Amino acid sequence: MDMNVILSYIPLYRDALLLTLRIGWQGVFWALVIGLGCTLIRQLHIPVLQGVVTVYVELLRNTPLLVQLFFLYFALPKIGVRISAEVCGSLGLGLLGGAYMAETFRSGLDNIAPVQEESALSLGMSRFQTFRYVIFPQAAASSMPGIVANVVFLLKETSVFSVISLMDLMFTAKDLIGMYAKTIECLTLLVVFYLIMLLPVSLLGTVLERRLRYAEFGN
Amino acid sequence: MKKIRKNTVIAVLTALGLGTALVSPVFADENFRTLDEIKESGTVNIGVFSDKSPFGYVDENGEYQGYDVYLAERLGEDLGVEINYVSTEAANRIEYLQTGKVDIILANFTVTPERAEEVDFALPYMNVALGVVSPEDAVIESLDDIGEDDQVIVISGTTAETYLVKNNPEIKLQKYDAYAEAKTAFENGNGVAWANDNTEVIAFSIENEGYVVGIPSLGSADTIAPAVTKGNETLLNWLNDEIVSLGEENFFHADYEATLLDTYGADYEDTLVIEGGAVSGSETEAE
Repeated sequence: MDMNVILSYIPLYRDALLLTLRIGWQGVFWALVIGLGCTLIRQLHIPVLQGVVTVYVELLRNTPLLVQLFFLYFALPKIGVRISAEVCGSLGLGLLGGAYMAETFRSGLDNIAPVQEESALSLGMSRFQTFRYVIFPQAAASSMPGIVANVVFLLKETSVFSVISLMDLMFTAKDLIGMYAKTIECLTLLVVFYLIMLLPVSLLGTVLERRLRYAEFGN
Repeated sequence: MKKIRKNTVIAVLTALGLGTALVSPVFADENFRTLDEIKESGTVNIGVFSDKSPFGYVDENGEYQGYDVYLAERLGEDLGVEINYVSTEAANRIEYLQTGKVDIILANFTVTPERAEEVDFALPYMNVALGVVSPEDAVIESLDDIGEDDQVIVISGTTAETYLVKNNPEIKLQKYDAYAEAKTAFENGNGVAWANDNTEVIAFSIENEGYVVGIPSLGSADTIAPAVTKGNETLLNWLNDEIVSLGEENFFHADYEATLLDTYGADYEDTLVIEGGAVSGSETEAE
């Protein structure tokens, strides 16, 4: 392994990391927003929209991100809808993530026995109070591991961005290998940079989980 | 909390260490099959493009076709073995040889000094330079026509990319993995121009209305040759002998007429074809 090569590539990888993070976090943000929206629609049993949510969740969860990006980036311009590569990236991630988040939130809510809501209401708590102090803390706690897993999953999915010409970490590595054939150096840097990006997320997730689930962990 | 922190540090270090260790040994030793080993196995693995008409592509019946494939078929025949085609992308051609996934790369592989450090090139069989194609209503006739915010489409791992990165770093590149994606992106108007081998941009402008090759030749005149894994001398020598003897029967002209004539017409035949590995200048006159 050639240290000089590694050092000379680090700025390129840093740029790629920043781009990956920027688009990745935008994607995660939209995923949370869309996921919450879907959950709300499902919880409030809004007619028609509920059906739309079901179709959306199944459609997005059962097609690969690669296909979704191809559709957004290559097919839509054919009918006159032109979206920049970066927006395609975060939109694609957001739509895919939204479907996953909706399912995770739902499983969190499903975990809470109906008797809890009934008890809270019979104690004289309002519907809002019931949600705020009884349902939500427990649902958040039990869906936390799933949410963190989704975030890590979404950040890793950025590795298919090369198809829409975004210079994310994966594409930067492939591109450099194609030009200069320094395979070992490029792949080593790739692994290190993915770990730099994802390990803090996993660790933060663990901490959050412990805080939210203090009732279970007891500290 | 202290305990968590200690475990965390250990976990982080282990992950980083393992990650680095994992990728390192994979490419450590060289990895190729000699001529005898290929003949013994009864199959030769040849890396070709599957999406680059008319050089290497898969036709509507699922068969590999094109100028490169025509040569590959003949090599298989003369080796007396079956051919296993392996579809490659521009950026992984060197990898495939270095890891022994293919014995020969016949994927429109331009000979460059950088690449020659990583793989061994046999005698050339085609001439090539770079070219730039653009829409006819906004023709790019010189690299100076490219504006500050304009993007030029290139395929990752091609000589066009390397040339522009090295000589015109101010030009913004929009890079794609594969030919098919670059083509669609260009048709969608994602870039002001597309830089690639001139053979390909000429083919594109002929096959697609509304496009002009504003810069037909850019950079140095290069050649295209088969490549083998670095150090695979038996196979390299066999290929060189084969290309010389194929030249005696004007094989590459026949190849051109079978695969490229429809696209380029007869005009390009003598400028593109290299017979018997003899690059123009030292060309042996062959009718």
